[in-house]
Amino acid sequence: MALYEVRVINHPWMPDPKGQDVLYEIQRALGLKNITRVTTTKVYRLEGISEEEAHLLAQNLLAEDIYQSYRLNEPVITKATAVVEVAYKPGVMNPETSSLMKAARDLGINNLSACDSSWEYGFFGPGVTTANINLILKRLLVNETVEQVVTSRPPAAGRQTSGEKQTTSRSTGGKPVLSEACPTSNRLETSPAKPLTLVIHGLVQETKIIPIRVMNDRELMALSQDKLFLDREEMQRIKNYFTSLGRDPTDCEVETIAQTWSEHCVHKTFKAKLLVNGREKTPLLKRLQQATQNINHPLVRSAFVDNSGVFEFYQGWAICGKVETHNAPSAIEPYGGAMTGSGGVFRDIMGTGQGAKVIASTDIFCFAPPNYPVEKIPDGCLHPHYLLRRVVAGVRDYGNRMGIPTNNGSVHFHPDFRAKPTVIVGAYGILPLERCLKGRPRPGDLAMVIGGRTGRDGIHGATFSSGEMTARTIEVNASAVQIGHPIEEKRVADAILAASEQGLIRALTDCGAGGFSSALGEMGTETGVKVYLDRAPLKYPGLAPWEIWVSESQERMVLAVDPAKAGRVLAICQALNVEATIMGEFTGDSRLLVSYQGEVVCSLDMDFLHHGWPQRAKQVAWQAPVFAEPDLPSSANWEEIYRQVMAHGNVCSKEPIVRMYDHGVQGTCALPPFGGVNGDAPNDAVILTPFLDQPYAVIISHGLNPVLNKINPYYGSLWAIAEAAANAIAVGANPRELMLIDNFIWPVPEENFLGAIDLAVDACVDFARATGMPFISGKDSLSSTYRGKDNLVIHIPPVLCVSAFGRLPDVTKTVSADFKKEHSQVVLVGCRNPMEMAGSVYYDLIGYIGNNLPKIDLAVLPKVYQAVYQAIAEGKVLACHDISEGGLAAALAEMCFGGNLGAVINIPAEEKAENFLFNETAGCFLIELDPKINPANLFAGVPHKVIGHTVSQREITAYRQKKLLFALPLAPLKEAWQRPMKEVFGGSITA
Amino acid sequence: MLPKVCILRTDGTNCDAETFYAFNKAGGKSELVHINQLRQGKVKLAAYHILVIPGGFSYGDDISAGKILAAEMTSFLKEQLAEFWRAKKPILGICNGFQVLVRTGLLPTGKLGSISAALTANKSGRFECRWIKLKIEKNNCIFTQGLDNKVIYLPVAHGEGNFYTDSATLNNIEANGQVTFRYVDKNDQPTKTYPDNPNGSLNAIAGLSDPSGYILGLMPHPERFTEIFHEPNWRRNNLLFCQPGRLTYNSMEPQGLAIFRNAIQYVKNS
Repeated sequence: MALYEVRVINHPWMPDPKGQDVLYEIQRALGLKNITRVTTTKVYRLEGISEEEAHLLAQNLLAEDIYQSYRLNEPVITKATAVVEVAYKPGVMNPETSSLMKAARDLGINNLSACDSSWEYGFFGPGVTTANINLILKRLLVNETVEQVVTSRPPAAGRQTSGEKQTTSRSTGGKPVLSEACPTSNRLETSPAKPLTLVIHGLVQETKIIPIRVMNDRELMALSQDKLFLDREEMQRIKNYFTSLGRDPTDCEVETIAQTWSEHCVHKTFKAKLLVNGREKTPLLKRLQQATQNINHPLVRSAFVDNSGVFEFYQGWAICGKVETHNAPSAIEPYGGAMTGSGGVFRDIMGTGQGAKVIASTDIFCFAPPNYPVEKIPDGCLHPHYLLRRVVAGVRDYGNRMGIPTNNGSVHFHPDFRAKPTVIVGAYGILPLERCLKGRPRPGDLAMVIGGRTGRDGIHGATFSSGEMTARTIEVNASAVQIGHPIEEKRVADAILAASEQGLIRALTDCGAGGFSSALGEMGTETGVKVYLDRAPLKYPGLAPWEIWVSESQERMVLAVDPAKAGRVLAICQALNVEATIMGEFTGDSRLLVSYQGEVVCSLDMDFLHHGWPQRAKQVAWQAPVFAEPDLPSSANWEEIYRQVMAHGNVCSKEPIVRMYDHGVQGTCALPPFGGVNGDAPNDAVILTPFLDQPYAVIISHGLNPVLNKINPYYGSLWAIAEAAANAIAVGANPRELMLIDNFIWPVPEENFLGAIDLAVDACVDFARATGMPFISGKDSLSSTYRGKDNLVIHIPPVLCVSAFGRLPDVTKTVSADFKKEHSQVVLVGCRNPMEMAGSVYYDLIGYIGNNLPKIDLAVLPKVYQAVYQAIAEGKVLACHDISEGGLAAALAEMCFGGNLGAVINIPAEEKAENFLFNETAGCFLIELDPKINPANLFAGVPHKVIGHTVSQREITAYRQKKLLFALPLAPLKEAWQRPMKEVFGGSITA
Repeated sequence: MLPKVCILRTDGTNCDAETFYAFNKAGGKSELVHINQLRQGKVKLAAYHILVIPGGFSYGDDISAGKILAAEMTSFLKEQLAEFWRAKKPILGICNGFQVLVRTGLLPTGKLGSISAALTANKSGRFECRWIKLKIEKNNCIFTQGLDNKVIYLPVAHGEGNFYTDSATLNNIEANGQVTFRYVDKNDQPTKTYPDNPNGSLNAIAGLSDPSGYILGLMPHPERFTEIFHEPNWRRNNLLFCQPGRLTYNSMEPQGLAIFRNAIQYVKNS
């Protein structure tokens, strides 16, 4: 069948921002200054239509002649030294194709049978060599897990065009097409020849029987490796189960068990028996849950049971929150990984109770520094500069397109994230109290899948993310990554809300890790469920039944619906262009029965499936490391050190990232991530008013500090939790109405690291008890260890990321962080020991970690929180900023940037200036007060000190014992603080 | 009877709820209408007084922003739109809606199916979300009557807002006084400089109307400034008095509202 190529290019006088962006990265990230220009062309391939129709589509849809031109089956970039086309691999769903098909139909062209789109790049300049183009493709443009270089053109119809000459020369097997001008003619590594058709064909693979009963231990482990990620004992359990049944399992059954028992789904470590010095300790998860039960918070509606944690809001509504990690997929395909991470956590919110509306998204990343030397990046890993940009792009494209404001987040840098980055995405939602709890599916209820189709993508995601990453990971597990389709998910979200409003949903859950297997297997735990796999709408033919069953194709939700209401659900879906299919029904026999075209491919006892895994017993020990201590030099050059602190990756402005996220959509933002006179000073938390006509507010914040956990996981974790709450309280949150979410992202929990988790959980429990803030949701991801060649092992610094969210009846009782006026008092509120400098940015800059880390005093902290909240609620606080990385100095500078004001501070004689300025104890606040207010009254009973005042002159001036220590203009500090991320994200931010 | 406002939705529309709220607050009666309802004839545009295409990513902005929805509207709503326009009923496109109106041809010329301008990728190459200053020009646009020469503050959030056309069309637009909003700098002068002009638009054009003045399209989001606390610096600009139990504005109305109220007022007067 004819295949037409339409190439669309901007007129030569039009800018080419995509080309400019690629050029910027080539010059900046790769240092190839001799490549001087990049032009881009969009390529569309259209199958099944006539030449006339191809022209019609090009004119009416693909190109606008006001600024573009097109060519049919001809190249358009003709003068470049090299031209390369990059396309998705076949089978990776290009989200654009469904829109192309739809628009063609709308324009009256009904026989377009398949289509695709891709980008072509033209490179100019003396630096265009094969070696450089290979480097650009490998490092910037092609992610081989999902993309490929297209070279030999498919035999297109209408070859007798004027493009014939180029066509011939282009199809002679060259990989990037280098014209004669190119000095070398070496070819790129192999890339597949273009298929003759875009239609994917495939024969259904048959269900296989796995002869598990005769396997010895070695064979069992070979079966597990790279695929099931189960341990010996678990594999033996499976063998024993089938031995007792007197038969061997199908591939589908083995996959189902592996998925259900994966660390990702069942959290075996958090449920394990822990043995500390021979003494048994309550499992980690249970400790967290008990702490929440003990608090018995009156606002909590559900904790740790649903897809997200739910608490009561106002006016008969509830707020829910969930935070997830998507580390493993993001490490190998950051754009797709971050997208599907966002998509997954949004579906967790959508699938809470009987359906919720997503109102906010958060993103928290840990990477190696973006300027980390390329040669030190381990095999099989991507460079952090690329990872950061691509992860941000993924979060941006998913959240923006779905219309969910992304408005709270942070980025942390540490070299030990070079092999396994941490990518955390959170989401928050609103739902009516009366539908905030899930119903239980009843026998006879229908199991319905709505949304995207099922493909081969994402197979083994659940088991994969539970395994350690190795140099082989990218090769073996490419199928675990896919490109998200946010518009599909938006449609699904709209359909769920409509069905939920009419009370049509008994229960629902998202098809996340483990796909149908997880979603239906879990929903049917109590009743049993019968599933007809052949009913599942597929993206393309050829999937084996087990693949359909465990595929993690995105944008799907599973609903339990009363048969009497199914018709209405189907009608709602149809009206919103959402595909809906009845996949089966809930039974009453407590069995998981899956069939494909009349053949049973899985028949398992629910009890074995969900409770058959062996509880682990684990030895726990934590050995405190000893780090070198610096001889603290007295700082001579204050300007230099202050600027270095502001420019440190963990302090510097992340504004270029935030500007790419739509943080105002939904019209609910009442405190943006960046504010102040010039809109470039950070706030500590986001405030949303989800009811557009009412002042009820939701506050969302978070905290983490991985490096502290290397020193001491108890105090490091306490810091993270205290910071999360302090960020919320700094804008006005009520500490009595704050909820917490825990996310543990840890190296593989061998004895020492498990000991570290044990201490981190103790910190969570102690904090909850001291403050009354309950943890209501959480997740652990315990596989952030890399094992490479030559016994290279890299553990990430353990991450406990805590998110805090709460409610407030009146948005007007909140504050921002920017200084409001001159002559105000600047007050330090909170308890800290400035000597505790270990793990600080200041220490990092002088090359140390240290041992004496901030030890937050839980006896004092709740009083500080309460006093700050009270002061803000009474309207007495002009500005408030919590102290974190970079210490008081960074917080003060940011408040000055926001107000375009300076400050004069006095460093107490008894304190070392460096400690006073750069100590990072969380739970401390800088507060701006009108000179008429007496801080001694406002903060009676909690540690506080007036440290200075604001001035109109844009300088930060410090005195110690009446002696001038420094007077630094704001501008260079701000320049240093803004520069790092501007450099990563392109030069034109201030241009 | 309150003027009825059709808030047109489709796959990827995502500013519908706040636009709905803005028109209701301005005195209208908003209804969310999916384009499928119009295509199937279940709902007629004629039943409404105002048509709004809200912001979002219609069909993912695939091919180019607003393109697929524009093609759909041009194919299936041609008569209804023409009738709406002949009846002198206001049409508003915000952000993605503006992109759609330009790609249907309704802006800037009012001629459905004839594209004479484009909103192309931002010069920065990036999606931009920030508050910017806009100057309202004096013209016949029914959405901005009485607001001449006012400078207002609104957020933009888009990746493709760079207004482009050929010089003849641009001259026509300017000669007819069709430019309704321009990006201005701190001295309230039209600017091409980033970030005050967030996308590099020709002549700093942020929004424009057709020659009749009934159709308006703009990239900034007036529906995101309908309460004082939407303004990013309301706390420092002393925009709000706190009084127990209710909100009182300090003499300033949220600056997005007037555009919606003007449309409602126009319908009431006509």
